[in-house]
Amino acid sequence: MTDRWDLSTRLIEPAPDLLVAQPGRIVELAGMAGMGLTRIGYRMLSEASRRSPMAVVDVRGWASPAAAWEAGIDRDNLVIVRCAESSTWGQLVAALCEGVPTVYAEVPSAVRDRDLRRLAALIRARQVRVVLRPLRGELPGGIAHLRIRAVGVVWEGAEVGHGRLTHRRLVLEASGKGAAGMVRQIEVEDAGEDAVHVVSGVVSRASGRAG
Amino acid sequence: MWFPAWSLGRPDAPAEGAVLVVDTKAGVVACSGVDSDVGPGMPRRQAEALCPDATVLIRDIGEEARRFEPVVCQVEELIPRVEVIEPGKLLIPVTGAVKYYGGEPEVVELLQGKMTAAGHDVRLGLADGPFAAEWAARIAEPGTPLVIEDTRRFLSTLDVGTLSGHDDIVSVFRWLGVTTLGSLADLPREAIASRFGAEGLDVHRLAHGQDRVVGPRPIPPELAVEATYEDPLESLDQLAFAAKATAARLMVGLHREGMSPFRVTTELEAADGTVRSRVWRSMSPFSESALADRVWWQARAWVDTGVIPGGVVRIRLDPSDLSGAGRQLGMFEDVMSQVEAERAFARAQAIVGPEAVLQAQPQGGRLPTEQVDWRQWGEPESKPERSTDDPWPGATPSPAPALIPPRPTRFEVEWEGGIPTRVRLGTRWEPVTTWAGPWRLTGRWWRDEESVDRYQIVTSAGAFLCTVGSDGTFLAGIYD
Repeated sequence: MTDRWDLSTRLIEPAPDLLVAQPGRIVELAGMAGMGLTRIGYRMLSEASRRSPMAVVDVRGWASPAAAWEAGIDRDNLVIVRCAESSTWGQLVAALCEGVPTVYAEVPSAVRDRDLRRLAALIRARQVRVVLRPLRGELPGGIAHLRIRAVGVVWEGAEVGHGRLTHRRLVLEASGKGAAGMVRQIEVEDAGEDAVHVVSGVVSRASGRAG
Repeated sequence: MWFPAWSLGRPDAPAEGAVLVVDTKAGVVACSGVDSDVGPGMPRRQAEALCPDATVLIRDIGEEARRFEPVVCQVEELIPRVEVIEPGKLLIPVTGAVKYYGGEPEVVELLQGKMTAAGHDVRLGLADGPFAAEWAARIAEPGTPLVIEDTRRFLSTLDVGTLSGHDDIVSVFRWLGVTTLGSLADLPREAIASRFGAEGLDVHRLAHGQDRVVGPRPIPPELAVEATYEDPLESLDQLAFAAKATAARLMVGLHREGMSPFRVTTELEAADGTVRSRVWRSMSPFSESALADRVWWQARAWVDTGVIPGGVVRIRLDPSDLSGAGRQLGMFEDVMSQVEAERAFARAQAIVGPEAVLQAQPQGGRLPTEQVDWRQWGEPESKPERSTDDPWPGATPSPAPALIPPRPTRFEVEWEGGIPTRVRLGTRWEPVTTWAGPWRLTGRWWRDEESVDRYQIVTSAGAFLCTVGSDGTFLAGIYD
C-alpha cells in the first residue's frame, strides 16, 4: 500500500516553518475527515500551546483531547469549546480571539463569508495564531494566509489483520501567501509523537501557481 | 463556626430516610441517615453503592448562600466583620469581642447559645488563626465549643491530610514518614524551604500554628472596583453577568500589581439607597471565577431575601487582604495574557454555556471515550475515576483517534469471510486497503455490556476505529 508514493528511501528532517502557525496568519486545513489534518493542525499550534492557553472550537463534538496531547498540546493549557450552533460560532470565535493567543476552530458550513472576513480582520489585528478547519469545502479566498489541503495518507503498521496502526505519511499541498504564492507539495511523516518530519527533497517542490 | 449539615437543610431534602448531597466533582458534601462508612469527601459512586436507597441531591451553593445569609446577619448582631468562607462556614475575628464580652468562654457561649436557640446544628472552634480554628470546629462536639489554648500543640496531633489543597506535597510527606503536623513542624525550616520551596514553607508555617503571614502590604485605593448602573439590575441573569465582569476587572487590576486577594468585601447598593456589604475569605488566593462565584452567590442571597429592594445600582469589590504568597506566576507566564485568556473563556461560557467549555485529563480505560476525564473550565482538577497507572490490558493502542463520535454511530462495513472489504463514507464506498484486529473487548456482563471486537480499518481516505458487536458495526474513532 505504500507504492503510491515511494517513500522508503527518502531522508526525513524536521518540519519547516511552513508547518508552524504564525501570529495573525490564518492557516486553513482543507480535506475530509480521516485525511490526518486535525493532528497536523494540533502540531502547528503545539509549540505555542506550551506558553499560553489554547482553545479548540469543536463544532461536531467529536474532538478528542487525547490526540491533541499526543500531538504536543499542553494539557493544562488546552480548553475545548463545543459550539454546535452556526449562528453563535462567529461570536464565540471572536470572543476567544480577543483573549486566547492560540485557536484551532472547526468552521461550520453555514457560516457566512462576511462573518469570516470580519473574523479574519480581528485575528490579524489581535495577532492570534489560528488554524481553521472547514467542515465542508474550503474557505472563501483572501482569508487564509496558508491553505493546506490533504492529498493522500498512507498508514503503516497494520497488515491484513496483524499489527496495529503505528505511523503515517501524508501528502499535503500548501498554497497561498504562506507558501510564497506557489502550490507546493509536502510529504510529512507522523509517528504519533510530538514531532512532524518532512520527507527530504519533496518539501520545496513547486507544482504550479497558486490559484 | 461550622454548620456541618448546612447543605442538608435545603427545602427539597426529604425529612426522613437517607440523603446524600453531592457535588459534581467533590463527591459527597453532606449526608444523613446513611451508613457510618459514608461521609463527606467520598466519591459519589462509592457512596451510592453503599447507600442505594439514599436520595441524592446535587449541591446548589447559590441556594445555600441564600439560606445562610440570615445566619450571618444573626452572628453580625453579636460580632461585626464576619467573614464567609462558604455557606455553612464562617470566620469570626473575636479579638475585640473577647474584650467586649469579658472573655473567650463568654464569646463562644454567646454564639453557641444564639445558634442553638435558632435551631442550628453548629460546631464552634476558637484558635489562633483560621486554619487551626477551622479544624477545632471540625473536631468540636455538637453543642460544646472547642477553645484551643495552645494552638501549636493542638495542630501537632493533626494528620498531614488536613493540609487540603496541597495533595502532592502531602503524599511526599507521607512517603517520607511525616504523618502529623507535629512531625512536620519539627523539621528544620531551611530543609523544608530547600526541598519543597514556597509551598513547603506555607505548610510548615501552618504546622507551626503561624497560619499565613499577613504582611502590611499597602493596597492602592484604585484597586477597588466599582460598577454603577443607571437602570437597576433586577434579574438574576443580569446580576450574574455584572458580578462576573466586576470580578474580572478587579482581578486584572490586581494581577498588574502582582497581587491576588485572600479577602474581598462585596458591596451592593439597592435602587432605594440601601447598601449591603459582606466579606468573603478564601484560604488560598481567589481566582477570577472563584471570586465571581462568590459575588454572584452573595448578590443572589440578598436579592432572594429581599434586602436589596428595587434592583442593584452599584457593585463594589474591595480587596482587603493581599498579603502572603499571592499568585505565583510561572517563569514564562505572561500575566496579562493569562488574565485575558481567562476572560475570553468566561465570555465563551456566557455564549455557549459552562457545560460546553471543557478541559480534560487522561484517565484509565480501554476505549478512547473512556480514556478522557472531562471537567468544566474553571473547576479544579480532581482525581480521575480510573487510574492511568493501572495496566488496562486490552486498551486501544496509540495513536489515539483525533475524532471520536460522542454517541454510537453506525458504520457501514462490508465483510467477506470475516474480512472487511469496503466501507461506506458518505455517499460512496471506499475499498479497505488493510486492517488490524480484531481485538476482543469483553463487556461487564453484570452491567449488560456485550463483548465487542475492535478493528482498525484503513482506506485510501483515512483510517477508522470501529467496534463490531451483535447489533452491528459502530464507529469508535477517526484517525484524522
